[in-house]
Amino acid sequence: MPGKKDLHIESSGQLCIYCGACVGMCPLNCIYLDETRITFDERICTRCEICVKACPVAAIEIG
Amino acid sequence: MPSTITTDVLVIGAGPAGSMTAKWAAMKGARVLMIEKRQEIGSPVRCGEGMSKSWLPEVGIRPSSRWINLEVEGARIFSPREQAYVINEKHAGNEVGYVVERDAFDKQLAIDAGNAGVDVKLKTAALSLLKEGRQVVGARVKEYGETYDIRAPVTIGADGFESQVGRWAGIPTNLALRDMDSCLQYRMTNVDSDVRYCDFYLGKVAPGGYVWIFPKGDGLANVGIGVQCSQIKGPGEARKYLDAWIANHPAYSKGKKIDMVGGGVSISPPLKQTVADGIMLVGDAARMIDPLTGGGIANGCIAGKICGEVAAEAVELRTPTKEFFQKYEKGWRARLEEKLYRNWIAKEKLCSLPDEVFDKVIEALQSIKLEKLSVHNILKAVNQTHPEVTREFAELL
Ligand SMILES: Cc1cc2nc3c(=O)[nH]c(=O)nc-3n(C[C@H](O)[C@H](O)[C@H](O)COP(=O)(O)OP(=O)(O)OC[C@H]3O[C@@H](n4cnc5c(N)ncnc54)[C@H](O)[C@@H]3O)c2cc1C
Ligand code: SF4
Ligand code: SF4
Repeated sequence: MPGKKDLHIESSGQLCIYCGACVGMCPLNCIYLDETRITFDERICTRCEICVKACPVAAIEIG
Repeated sequence: MPSTITTDVLVIGAGPAGSMTAKWAAMKGARVLMIEKRQEIGSPVRCGEGMSKSWLPEVGIRPSSRWINLEVEGARIFSPREQAYVINEKHAGNEVGYVVERDAFDKQLAIDAGNAGVDVKLKTAALSLLKEGRQVVGARVKEYGETYDIRAPVTIGADGFESQVGRWAGIPTNLALRDMDSCLQYRMTNVDSDVRYCDFYLGKVAPGGYVWIFPKGDGLANVGIGVQCSQIKGPGEARKYLDAWIANHPAYSKGKKIDMVGGGVSISPPLKQTVADGIMLVGDAARMIDPLTGGGIANGCIAGKICGEVAAEAVELRTPTKEFFQKYEKGWRARLEEKLYRNWIAKEKLCSLPDEVFDKVIEALQSIKLEKLSVHNILKAVNQTHPEVTREFAELL
């Protein structure tokens, strides 16, 4: 969507520890966690940045 | 069309709340199927592993050396100046308790459920809910890559903090930033923790939350932190605060990290609604964590028992409606709601206290003997020496 900043979840395991904090806190319920895979729905996400705060290990960046 | 199987009660998530609900529903005669998206129940552990013990008989859990790591004498609350206030068994009643092996604990509850007749499916994730009008009638799931439907008159959302089931059902479970903690924990070896106590460090070291040390014996301990999300400014702050705390404490900075877990914890008031037609939420999915302590195992199990019993009754009477589920809603609230609400208010106040005030509160507590520990009694005590501190808390006095 034009105007949206980039949201990047580092989910290859270099940073992400698959804790689910972002999943539980996303107000739009648009982040999904398989055992070892995190995905989010680009169309729904409003870039509210709550997941950035939720993540204890800085695996999510918006910029 | 995906194929379909049927059951009486479908439990989504095999944590403590799910297993407890499943077990009690089966014991009351329902056919129960519990699904878990992970390949191993209880693992990886996402928990500090501290729990009280007074509630265990109530839900039918027998203490066992299989999952009890050690028994502590009490807790120590450290002020920002690191003065300790010791809470021991005498004035905390049975609130202090065990440090457990959480993976073994969760497995034991699943074993108890299995022995009660519950069927369990691993590596099976709920993808969405099946609905007929407003009525939830089961879930679409994926098991080992195969998608199919499980139809059930009663579905239970026990899918933990990351819960999506409640939101799929249209039950409002979203929380304010100030009502959530971002948590991180290391299991560390070669540390000097006192095995007699669970330790809590308050103040700026963990804004709106605390640093915890739960000892596991032989130089091993869980060293973790919860930080209130509304006080987080940038990415990865929970980790930064925890690493800074460890670096400043030689008894821990000499330790070695052997494990790292994270997660979200709700520190919210009780939800207004935890049921809808055909569905009930339980445990973290229903935001039942104690907002002051961050502990959720006990409340999830206590509510789970009530939830399981009501689920079986609804199956038997063929009344899986929102109206009938008020029995669960009322049941868990009668048991837990008042304390959840009080502790949420106490948490709200504590989160806003500057370090100097924390120091004064702990000082005041050190100087007096409390008969029985409760938020109310603590405030009364502090009120005697530092009325200016308790003014903020007038509504709790
Ligand atoms: C870092 C940390 C430390 C904590 N420390 C403590 C402590 O010391 N003491 C304490 O009492 N509490 C503690 N808690 C809270 C405690 O862990 C929870 O309250 C407790 O686990 C809640 O149990 P539950 O059964 O509701 O959920 P969970 O234990 O989270 O179980 C939910 C289960 O559902 C599964 N699931 C999720 N989605 C799906 C799906 N779509 N399909 C199928 N399965 C699914 C998950 O894989 C999981 O196994 C801590 C929490 C964190 C994050
Ligand atoms: S930015 Fe907000 S809406 Fe987007 S994924 Fe993160 S929490 Fe969800
Ligand atoms: S909060 Fe961070 S570490 Fe946890 S699952 Fe989300 S991206 Fe991964």
